[in-house]
Amino acid sequence: MEKRILFKYIDDPNQIHIDTYIAHGGYKAWEKTLKTMQPAQVIDEVKKSGLRGRGGAGFPAGMKWNFVPKDSPKPRYLICNADESEPGTCKDRVLMEQDPHGVVEGMAIAAYAIGSHLAFCYVRGEFVKPAALMEQAVKEAYDKKMLGKNIFGTGYDLNMVVHTGGGAYICGEETALLNSLEGERGMSRIRPPFPAVEGLYACPTVVNNVETLAAVPHIINNGGEWYASMGTEKSKGTKIFSLSGHVKKPGNYEVEMGTPLSYLISELGGGPLDGHKIKAIIPGGSSTPFLLPSQIDAPLDYESIAAAGSMLGSGAVIVMDERTCMVWVIERLIHFYRHESCGKCTPCREGTGWLEQLISRIERGEGKPGDLEKIDSICDNILGRTICPLGDAAVMPIQSALKLFRDEFQYHIDHKKCLVKSEFEFK
Amino acid sequence: MADTVATVTLTINGREVTVPKGTTVLEAAKSVGIEIPTFCWHPKLKPVGACRICYVEIEKMPKLQVSCATEAMPGMVVNTESEKVKEGRKAVLEFILINHPLDCPTCDKGGECDLQDNTFAHGIDDSRFDFNKYRFIRERKSTFDDYRIGPEIVRNQNRCILCFKCVRANKEIFGEYDLGVFQGGNISEIDTAPGEKVDSIYSGNLVEICPVGALTNTDWRYKIRVWKTQQVKSVCSYCADGCNLTLWKERDKVYRVTSRRNDVIDEGWICDVGRYGYQLASVEGRLTTPLIKKGDKQVAATWEEAIGLIARKFREIKDKKGGVCIGGLISPQQDCEALLAFSKFFRTQLHSNNIDFRTEYKMLPEKESPYYSRLTSASFRIADIENSDTILVVGTNLIKEHPIVHLRVRKAVNQKGAKLYTLNPFTTKSGDLSRDEIVHVPGTLEAFLNGLCIGLAEKADGEGNVRAAELKARLEPNTTAKAAEICGISEARLNDLAEALRSAKKISIIVGELVSGSPAREAIAAAIHNLTVVLNLNERGQAAILSRAANSKGAERLGVMPSLSKELQQKLKSMWGGFPETEGRATDRMIHAAKKEELDALLIIGANPVASFPDGQFVREGLDKLDFTVVADLYETETTEKADVVLPLSSWVEQSGHFINLEGTMQRFEAAIKPVGNSRPGRQIIEDIAREFKGGLFADAHEIAREMQELLNVEPRPSFPDAVAEVKFAEEKIEKDYPYPLFVVDEMHHFGHLTERSRSLAAFAAEAQVEISPSLAEKLQIENGSLVRLESETGKLVLPAKISEMLDNDVILISRNFSGTAANMLQMRKKRIDRVRLIRVDEK
Repeated sequence: MEKRILFKYIDDPNQIHIDTYIAHGGYKAWEKTLKTMQPAQVIDEVKKSGLRGRGGAGFPAGMKWNFVPKDSPKPRYLICNADESEPGTCKDRVLMEQDPHGVVEGMAIAAYAIGSHLAFCYVRGEFVKPAALMEQAVKEAYDKKMLGKNIFGTGYDLNMVVHTGGGAYICGEETALLNSLEGERGMSRIRPPFPAVEGLYACPTVVNNVETLAAVPHIINNGGEWYASMGTEKSKGTKIFSLSGHVKKPGNYEVEMGTPLSYLISELGGGPLDGHKIKAIIPGGSSTPFLLPSQIDAPLDYESIAAAGSMLGSGAVIVMDERTCMVWVIERLIHFYRHESCGKCTPCREGTGWLEQLISRIERGEGKPGDLEKIDSICDNILGRTICPLGDAAVMPIQSALKLFRDEFQYHIDHKKCLVKSEFEFK
Repeated sequence: MADTVATVTLTINGREVTVPKGTTVLEAAKSVGIEIPTFCWHPKLKPVGACRICYVEIEKMPKLQVSCATEAMPGMVVNTESEKVKEGRKAVLEFILINHPLDCPTCDKGGECDLQDNTFAHGIDDSRFDFNKYRFIRERKSTFDDYRIGPEIVRNQNRCILCFKCVRANKEIFGEYDLGVFQGGNISEIDTAPGEKVDSIYSGNLVEICPVGALTNTDWRYKIRVWKTQQVKSVCSYCADGCNLTLWKERDKVYRVTSRRNDVIDEGWICDVGRYGYQLASVEGRLTTPLIKKGDKQVAATWEEAIGLIARKFREIKDKKGGVCIGGLISPQQDCEALLAFSKFFRTQLHSNNIDFRTEYKMLPEKESPYYSRLTSASFRIADIENSDTILVVGTNLIKEHPIVHLRVRKAVNQKGAKLYTLNPFTTKSGDLSRDEIVHVPGTLEAFLNGLCIGLAEKADGEGNVRAAELKARLEPNTTAKAAEICGISEARLNDLAEALRSAKKISIIVGELVSGSPAREAIAAAIHNLTVVLNLNERGQAAILSRAANSKGAERLGVMPSLSKELQQKLKSMWGGFPETEGRATDRMIHAAKKEELDALLIIGANPVASFPDGQFVREGLDKLDFTVVADLYETETTEKADVVLPLSSWVEQSGHFINLEGTMQRFEAAIKPVGNSRPGRQIIEDIAREFKGGLFADAHEIAREMQELLNVEPRPSFPDAVAEVKFAEEKIEKDYPYPLFVVDEMHHFGHLTERSRSLAAFAAEAQVEISPSLAEKLQIENGSLVRLESETGKLVLPAKISEMLDNDVILISRNFSGTAANMLQMRKKRIDRVRLIRVDEK
């Protein structure tokens, strides 16, 4: 069953307007926060809720906020990471397009919790419409005195800026995002120092995903315990899954954590296309390892998907049926990661390029004996050897495909043609 | 340092290592001689952990860690040579090499390349990469590529391993944003921002820190293999910073100059003048033989003839009119040995005190001027700048005048959070770093400084500072408001600066040549002195007027001036068994005396006063009246033209010697090559003349060394006497006919009159330009490069205009480094601020 919390008014075209948003109970949480809560109480409530980062890593949000040094004399910054670029993921875009005030309110509360008076929403460059809607929402919030000086007469000031990036996947990585926001090239930074201590302009900074922040007003309104009552023991609340690929009804579905993958695919997504069988499932965005149809009953929560050998990631579930050539899939993916590698760390920069060359030639039927072993070895030399997880992200689906579907690759090399004989063209 | 520094003890390869807290694992390993390969690491740059070659294995950490960016922690157990580490390194080298052209046979970096060395030590001898290597478009045509990113820098992106050191140093250390990374992933490339070029004064450093042959300079490219050269320790002969250099030579040619890191002075960075200035030693047109004037012509002569003639003429003059009718000017770029010989020759053989090294200064004081000379001889440490929390830069375009001091100021501000204030008659690059860039009406500096003193004295009086009341009384009835008004600065800004200085813990006050070259230097120095008194600077900082050239400090300490401190006079008298009682003349007074025919001969070594003395008319008239002029220089100059005897002088790469930098540190430099042609080092020329005239000056090299040491042992004046100086409040009159203040300064990439001969430096700037602000250009409708005419009371000059983004007030800057410009024709020695009008010349 869908559990619509963030998505409660997602189908209401007027939800983008502040009056409708307020009529639906919006900005109550913001008012409650400012008028009745101390920052520490906000953090406590979010900690209690068990809310974890929805960008992919699943780090507890309350704990992240708590890392901001209490005694730092520097200004603090809150950043909403809206650089949603993981292939398959399209949930943040919908939140910003259909319910931008929910994001603004979540950002405001989080900013208050960490003592920030300036919050940024860093929107992916290609997201022209979401960025425009966010800007409009921020403007409306200023007009209604939800932002700006002395909000609700409490003396608290908060400014909010919507900033669009240049359109680089890497800028979804928080330290690259910080560089980009500072006007530098989007390349990840080494940690420590962590952004909570030295982030934007070397000041304490918290970077949270859109979906994470959008959940915050609901937690403030209904209490952390209410939120924690949903989901599993360690994965609380609801999560939006972006279902795509060979299913009848692809789309964004908000369900409770722990809902079986099979329910998402078969019930909500209408199951595989008629006459076809599922071959492989990417559960958490293109950088996560594949699951097999035999694992379709795995519950959708961080721990269970990890136990199944993959990651919940950003919640982008990509379904592929038996007509899909895995060599082709991997070629598409490595092309993406090679293109998006920022060029900073040697293994990722050079390794992704080399991998693309090798995998392309296998796909073209020009693979040579020993190529698979070479790919294995190159993957080993990238995995865990780079500053940010882009290197890992590039390698993990390849390693997974080579483990689960090695025969398809070998067939390409040995027979110079495709085992799947794909009649289904994606073009 | 006696302070207890928190330490950390860890184990590296089974050895216990104790290092200060905050040290990286890489540096901890280095400290005990364990080498870890690196590419992107640099001791002076923030680590970025990009290249990944410096992997180590640390217990309890499942992944390999980059040691350059991992802080050493107590109890860490590090292995730098485990199998996993070796595999990791091999993998990184394999990755780097897949698209590297391996064009070592034609690569200038061959033999000193980090990629070669690290591959040699840690790599594999074969590659599993069986595709065509990626080629960057601009370099695709041939190996002998020529893609320039600056006047001197050639980029070969194929060789680049993307360590980003050039881009990082450019931003972090030099504050330049002209270089960046473009594209992404494995086709990332280093390039200039659109419309920019890498042409800062520090650009050569980017080539030096490139670990491979991706950035090379045209100075060194394709000339010689590095292993054929020998390295010679040297010291820069241009500004007074005293950067340590290595000269790379083979047989009788120097091929390049690199830095020789000295953390107390340069931290491993040198400016392009130091890097490329050596080239002037071996350019066509060097004077290689003495010339004697016969009729209207200077004709070649032997050294014997030339020296014989000089000695004879000097004796004639001395016998007839006295030695005081002979004067000497020597360049402060001559070594200590030459300076001492010069002084000794004049004082012991000619019995004349007419010697000076300051040929670019206006109106020098007749008498020893106490506050000015105290500030020029005050102790000052470049390294201490970064320990200051408040820095005041006065009267200098620091980046131009002392590029390496500027870097230390940058470091203090950017890395240590120091507050910088600049106080200048025009905007400068240092201003970008400052809390407040104060631009005062030209010629009103001491009024501003006195205003500061008033503000501070009022506060300090209340705080029980004994001198404050005295100072306050002396400054009355002036007020901060009055001072602010005179200088065209708001009183609030003056008060803010006073407050910043008052509340500072440690202060550095850096004063430059706009003060030392000004006829008002004594009044300004008195005001700065008062500032030091009221700030009690003896206990909390340093203040100094920085000396200008490589050995200006040496000239001061060894006494190459007409009037000396009592202590120095005393020492010379006892050392030489006598000292002339007559009063000496400074540069301007020597010229004045020549004009009045009270001076008959000048011996000029390495200086070019005809072009550099800030009163062109005056110096030309003076020198024309002389009976006998001897000029030694590397090339023909405006001054050698007027000489009766021209002597070919050796450059500093052709001799060994010592320079004393602005801190007072004496540093030795070694000869790299033999003197060019028949040239001779300055000291030998003086010794030769003396021997012919009367007798040798020094028995041997030991005697020079001993005398130098004895003079250096004479304490320079006590740092800051606790007394209040006279106060002057000058107002500057604006003259309607000549509305724009003129400053004749060094061009960014030049120093003195010879660097225009350096091919590389000429590539940055080859002719004098009239630098004006964009707003003035707009007002007068002048475009970049269009000709303008400058007119002062004394002269006219037509030059191309250069619109400088750095400037934003109505002043005019002209460089003095180019022959044939004669910017000094617009100047008058008595005028505090030269003024000109500026007229657009409409080309026909």
